[in-house]
Amino acid sequence: MGKCILTVDDSSTMRQMIAFTLKEAGFEILEAADGMEALDRAKGQKLSLVITDVNMPRMDGITLVQRLRALPEFRFTPILVLTTESGMDMKQKGKEAGATGWIVKPFSPEKLLEVVNKVL
Amino acid sequence: MSRWFGRSTVLDPAEAPVEETAPISPLLLRVAAKESAMLDGQVAFLQTELAQVDALVGEAAATLQQALNTLDARVKAQHRLALAVQEAMHISGKGIDSTEATATLSTTIVGTLDAFVNNMLEISKSSMKLVEEVEDIRERSDRMEGMLGELGEIAGQTHLLSLNASIEAAHARKFGAGFAIVAAEVSKLADRSTSLSGTIQDQIRGTREALLRTDTQVQAIASKDLNLAIQSRGESESLIQALDESTRKVRDLVAEMETNARLIGEQVGHVVRSLQFEDLVHQTLQACMQELGNLQEQAGAWRALRADLEGGGDAGQLLLRLSGTLDEVEAAQVRFKAVKRESLAAGDVDLF
Repeated sequence: MGKCILTVDDSSTMRQMIAFTLKEAGFEILEAADGMEALDRAKGQKLSLVITDVNMPRMDGITLVQRLRALPEFRFTPILVLTTESGMDMKQKGKEAGATGWIVKPFSPEKLLEVVNKVL
Repeated sequence: MSRWFGRSTVLDPAEAPVEETAPISPLLLRVAAKESAMLDGQVAFLQTELAQVDALVGEAAATLQQALNTLDARVKAQHRLALAVQEAMHISGKGIDSTEATATLSTTIVGTLDAFVNNMLEISKSSMKLVEEVEDIRERSDRMEGMLGELGEIAGQTHLLSLNASIEAAHARKFGAGFAIVAAEVSKLADRSTSLSGTIQDQIRGTREALLRTDTQVQAIASKDLNLAIQSRGESESLIQALDESTRKVRDLVAEMETNARLIGEQVGHVVRSLQFEDLVHQTLQACMQELGNLQEQAGAWRALRADLEGGGDAGQLLLRLSGTLDEVEAAQVRFKAVKRESLAAGDVDLF
């Protein structure tokens, strides 16, 4: 069984595109539509990586990163932020929250796989 | 004043009848100017956002169309290559494909081995015959030796008889009968010698015939093995050469198919990237919807102002209320952030 990756985005299209790209490379994919659902899905899971959007209902991606980093089992898990936000202030917030990297949408499958393999 | 506020649209402050509304004109002008500026900004914002949506959708549609066209061409090319691979597997001039050729080669090799095994069995049988023939030759030789010994004895006796005949011949005049007996014995010996000579000749003839059969057997075996080996080797080489040629063609075609698959993968990547326009457009449209909500709120505030003014409300207080509402809408606009992506080109990556 491949490594498990949790992808968090309120857009089902984005979740499908990420899953399509990563499943092709042999990864197992879990999906969540917002930060709250992501926290629920992450419980008890051995995740190799989390990829999250920023602007989402109920709980945004930056808060999700902070909440995950507060959990011992996700202290060192790579977390990539995949968002339309490209401003330096938001990137800084993501970095301070504990994100591993920042990818601006839209992503190219090749580049996403390259980054994922680099952080794993 | 009521005539001015009774108009259905917000006018340019320059058009306001200043002398009739002197007590409230500064506040009214301020509110009207703010509203005008806000409306201009909101319209500009919506125009920008909708133009962005239009550009994103157009780019996505064009990219998807291009990707689909390329994918279609590539899939057709892949189909042609698959047919070419099938064709390449067919070995020209032999009416068989490479799979059949492999089976034929295998059958040929097995047949050749069978033939060699059968030849070995025949050689073994022939060898046994050769052994028997050699044994026959040996026995005949033994008999010939025995006969030759007997011929030696006969020669000795003939010699003695000859001497006796000579002696008796000296006395022939007195004892002619004795000479006759010796002569008869010599005649018998001559007969035996003649008979033995004939028998030896028969044995020698038999030996020659046996040797001739042996030679024929050996030549037949040697010739059979050589012809079969040459024929089998020729067939095997021909099939192997055809297989090599077929394999080379298949290898080239497979390489081309790999290139094709890579190009298809690139197009799929374009499709994946372009389909993300849905998320970008969704966020932009959400921003537009929020801005339309702001406009609705502003329109509602103005409708309320008009109704309250017509109902005899205090114009100053009502304008202050309107101003407060517009401030709230403006504050909401400050908090609001729209998507800034204007292209479907892949975004930047920044690893911390």
